[in-house]
Amino acid sequence: MSPLFQGIITILVGVFGCVGYFYAANLLLDKVIFPARGPNIGRNINRATAVRPWLFLLPAILALSVYLVYPVVGSFWRSLFNRSGEEFIGMDNYGALFADDVFRQALFNNALWALVVPAAATFFGLLVAQLTDRLKWGNIAKSLIFMPMAISFVGASLIWKFVYAGDPDIGIINAVRDGLGLDPMDPIQVPFWNNFFLMAILIWIQTGFAMVILSAALRGIPEETVEAAIIDGANPFQLFFKIKVPQIMGTIVVVWTTITILVLKVFDIVYTMTGGNFGTQILPSYMMTLMFRDDGRATAVAVVIMVVVLPVMIWNIRQAQKEMR
Amino acid sequence: MDNIAGQNNSLKWAVNITVALLVVAWLIPTVGLFVSSFRDRDQITASGWWLAPFSVELTYRTRADDAAPRQEGDLWIVEGNIFGTGEVADAFASGDASITAFGVTGRDPAAFAAGTEGENRDGGTLLVMADGSYRYTSTEEPDARGPRIYFAAATPPDFTMDNYQTILTAQTADERAASQAQGATFWDLLFDEEGIFRNFVNTFTVTIPATVIPILIAAFAAYALAWMDFPGRGLLIAAVVGLLVVPLQLALVPLLNLHNRIGIGQSFLGIWMAHTGFGLPLAIYLLRNYMVGLPRDIIEGAKVDGATDFQIFTKIILPLSFPALASFAIFQFLWTWNDLLVAKVFLPSDDASKVMTVRIADDLLGSRGGDWGILAAAAFVSIAVPVIVFFTMQRFLVRGLLAGSVK
Amino acid sequence: MNKSLLASAGVLALTAGLAYGQDLMFTPGEGDFSWDSYDAFAEATDLSGQTLTITGPWIGADGDLVESVLAYFEAATGATVNYSGSDSFEQDIVISIQANSPPNIAVFPQPGLAADMAARGALTPLPDGTADWVRENYAAGQSWVDLGTYAGPDGADALYGFFYKVDLKSLVWYSPEAFDEAGYDIPQSMEELQALTDQIVADGGTPWCIGLGSGAATGWPATDWVEDLLLRTQPPEVYDQWVTNEIPFNDPRIVAAIEEFGHFARNDDYVAGGASSVATTDFRDSPAGLFSYPPECYMHRQASFIPTFFPEGADSDFFYFPSYAGLDLGNPVLGAGTLWAITEESPAAEAFVSFLETPIAHELWMAQSGFLTPYAAANPAVFPTDAQRSMNDILLGATTFRFDGSDLMPGEIGAGAFWTGMVDYVSGASAEDVATAIQERWDSIQ
Repeated sequence: MSPLFQGIITILVGVFGCVGYFYAANLLLDKVIFPARGPNIGRNINRATAVRPWLFLLPAILALSVYLVYPVVGSFWRSLFNRSGEEFIGMDNYGALFADDVFRQALFNNALWALVVPAAATFFGLLVAQLTDRLKWGNIAKSLIFMPMAISFVGASLIWKFVYAGDPDIGIINAVRDGLGLDPMDPIQVPFWNNFFLMAILIWIQTGFAMVILSAALRGIPEETVEAAIIDGANPFQLFFKIKVPQIMGTIVVVWTTITILVLKVFDIVYTMTGGNFGTQILPSYMMTLMFRDDGRATAVAVVIMVVVLPVMIWNIRQAQKEMR
Repeated sequence: MDNIAGQNNSLKWAVNITVALLVVAWLIPTVGLFVSSFRDRDQITASGWWLAPFSVELTYRTRADDAAPRQEGDLWIVEGNIFGTGEVADAFASGDASITAFGVTGRDPAAFAAGTEGENRDGGTLLVMADGSYRYTSTEEPDARGPRIYFAAATPPDFTMDNYQTILTAQTADERAASQAQGATFWDLLFDEEGIFRNFVNTFTVTIPATVIPILIAAFAAYALAWMDFPGRGLLIAAVVGLLVVPLQLALVPLLNLHNRIGIGQSFLGIWMAHTGFGLPLAIYLLRNYMVGLPRDIIEGAKVDGATDFQIFTKIILPLSFPALASFAIFQFLWTWNDLLVAKVFLPSDDASKVMTVRIADDLLGSRGGDWGILAAAAFVSIAVPVIVFFTMQRFLVRGLLAGSVK
Repeated sequence: MNKSLLASAGVLALTAGLAYGQDLMFTPGEGDFSWDSYDAFAEATDLSGQTLTITGPWIGADGDLVESVLAYFEAATGATVNYSGSDSFEQDIVISIQANSPPNIAVFPQPGLAADMAARGALTPLPDGTADWVRENYAAGQSWVDLGTYAGPDGADALYGFFYKVDLKSLVWYSPEAFDEAGYDIPQSMEELQALTDQIVADGGTPWCIGLGSGAATGWPATDWVEDLLLRTQPPEVYDQWVTNEIPFNDPRIVAAIEEFGHFARNDDYVAGGASSVATTDFRDSPAGLFSYPPECYMHRQASFIPTFFPEGADSDFFYFPSYAGLDLGNPVLGAGTLWAITEESPAAEAFVSFLETPIAHELWMAQSGFLTPYAAANPAVFPTDAQRSMNDILLGATTFRFDGSDLMPGEIGAGAFWTGMVDYVSGASAEDVATAIQERWDSIQ
């Protein structure tokens, strides 16, 4: 059973190497560099305290700068060069992109995704959260709706390919159409609307996420406000829209943005379902078709994605800073 | 509170029905593929998975080779039972199928109803009964391999683990039979160098350190950002939040080049570091939000008692933050387990170091695109572990998530 | 790229379970092999103590096949051969050349990459006389020489690549039983093929199964169709100039070839499932229609690897995708192949090239699987199946051999715009528009 053995060894080395760093570094700081004894005990403790945050942060800062900051800066720089990376061409890659029909379509589709998926996932999540709130079997229902979260995007695409299959003996959508006497159709090829059929997959996955968070938020609403509204004679719909929703608005926005960020990163679904054909291209999968071929243009697409995400990012930072105060 | 909705009984019903419908709608896609993973290829294409428990009418071709032709006067006669003929004997070994129609050309395989006599291509006759017995007559000597007969038979549902065995051993049914004839058991094939078990181990080799390392690093960083005072803290927090949205694809090309330059190349070390880097912003963000919410007096009290930051962190913060740690761990585990892209780029591409997703996507989907049964089984093999982890740990997931994103 | 990968996946499936680790697969002196060429080579060459490193795209069972052939080189010369295969060969070889640690010999699945490497000075020209040898001994020899000849760093043309192991694309697959029962004959010309197509429709059947689906690579099967049809409607020079974009993609001659493909693929009567199913039917799925009862279709044009995807036990055969009798263009054959080039010169590497010139080197792989050769002196009797033998006959009978054009074009076109363009075309866009869009894309990368 040598592969198993090798696997275990590598796991142990990886994990203990990491634990070892923190332990040894702290030991070094407290016992060797600034020992909390001897004549300079006070100064040493202060110095150790000043250094320690950076000790704690060092691995994280290193990893973040190498794996995220460096690629962002490096990609932007790379996008200013031609395909071989030898010639500086300024903004030409961006010019070429915006002249490209496929890119413009990808940008438009991406905007659709960024609007529809978070909205729909949040809506369904809120709906399920509210409806299951007082239901006896609510937790089971929630678990089942949450389950797609555990499925990979590739697995999910496979599952939905089966649903959308054109053969009425395989795809349930065409089986229903067949039952109603309609001709079978291929949902993936219907111009424009096929985008929505692809979005359905991500909505299917993300609804569970929205549901869990919103359901907890709903439970967190103070009972008094709800009871007061009931005494005032509010019907269940008024209760929900006028009393509950405004109180959890903050959470709704958080869920919404989290899903938006995710939408702008996901390429697997389009990549495996249509390969970007039939007018369903989106930016991340468009970038994949350029990668390793024309890195200049591929990184330019990545930078465009970054720019699209920028407002969400700024909003996120603002929120975080508000919390700090 | 129950009486609020309860006042209106019809509303309660509406709620129940709506939820039931939603749950069904959410389950149908998965159930369809799951059922199909136990059916064989012919049955999948012949009837929808929702009809899986029922008999399927399939058309077959065979050669009347179970009996030698005999001559009666001018006529050559072959008599036998279709279910015993070489090409379909295996398919009907269980013996409870019945023939509904038969034919003599592939173009019209169900030309004659069972029990009626039809004209065959040699100018003679062919009669097939529902129980499979047939009588073939011809004025010429039939083909030595036996005359061709097409027939439609109602075949009982056949649920099988075959697809899963194919996926797990990476060998088709025929290849398995050949190896087993040489004395190998199913388990030998499973643990074979070529089998998927190795990739399964690889996946764990990637996911476990790629889950634990970022948690450790992030926990220390989150503690520093939550409870230590130092210049630039606000800026760092803002940076982490900003990095949450960096698209992953952006990082692949520059990082692979970097790894090659510093000599890591494509290796487990490289993929751990990559997953660590990509997972850190969320980890720090979630953990910091949780740790900030911990009661201040406990920490201050410990400080007064002379505990160092390291001690406070290991003795107080870590145990208290368990729900957040667990929730991030589940997230990161699911993400690294399901990841295809990072593994493809950062791991070498030989069979021995592929992870499950890559093996399934490259080897199995690549060579068996049209075989839904195999694809379905492949999907469920890769889904199984994350779903189990997910269902056993979901309590933590929810608790930790709430701390991180509900404020 | 994708195609060669799939082809090798097919071979892999076929050969899985073959014996491993045997030193010499076939005992020297036995069978129909040209052992005299082996003995002569062994006598003339002594490389004891030398090491030869080879990198190629084959892994797994495919890798075992290469090694089974290399074992004979080792046995004959006393050299040690280290073969290493990689799935991402294209990236790996570039990296190792940049890092200045190339193998002695690299096996390129795509001539375009080899040409790039030659221009960078990473390849050593093959020994003098090799070009003449190929010209004289390979069927359509000049085509093979041209495919392996590139400009070096100084701009001078030289032969850099030796083709060994070839795939065939110009094949039409069918079910002999279905043809027999319906009384159809194998068409000998494109005119007859079109007449047969109409005949099948008149008889109430559907002639073709066409599927372009291939995940992210969706569309590539159509590029083979267009290439094959271009070779059958225009002289090979047009094809060559099209591949290098001297003739633009939207030239009327190219557009006509695309429309010729549309003649088959965009006709609801001609294609199983109707024209709208062409774009999404998976190419691995589509040949299954040949073997159903009643047949969903009667013919399927696809490369030599496709039987791997046939249903178990399917009885199949193939014929040459015929050329027009009315046009005097000979019998062109479309294919692909691997090109062996010297990346780090050594006596062993040169000796290896002369090993590839012996019939035995070809026969050893022919006798296993997945190997065709245009080398006329290799004895076809060693093929284990008739199907392989008749495929090789098509290759030997070729008057013109052309390499898969999409593999010769820049990646953005041959593995990008061309694919998606063909999907657009079968989903209803006009050939003219599609070709113009591809040409614009090509212009934008120059």
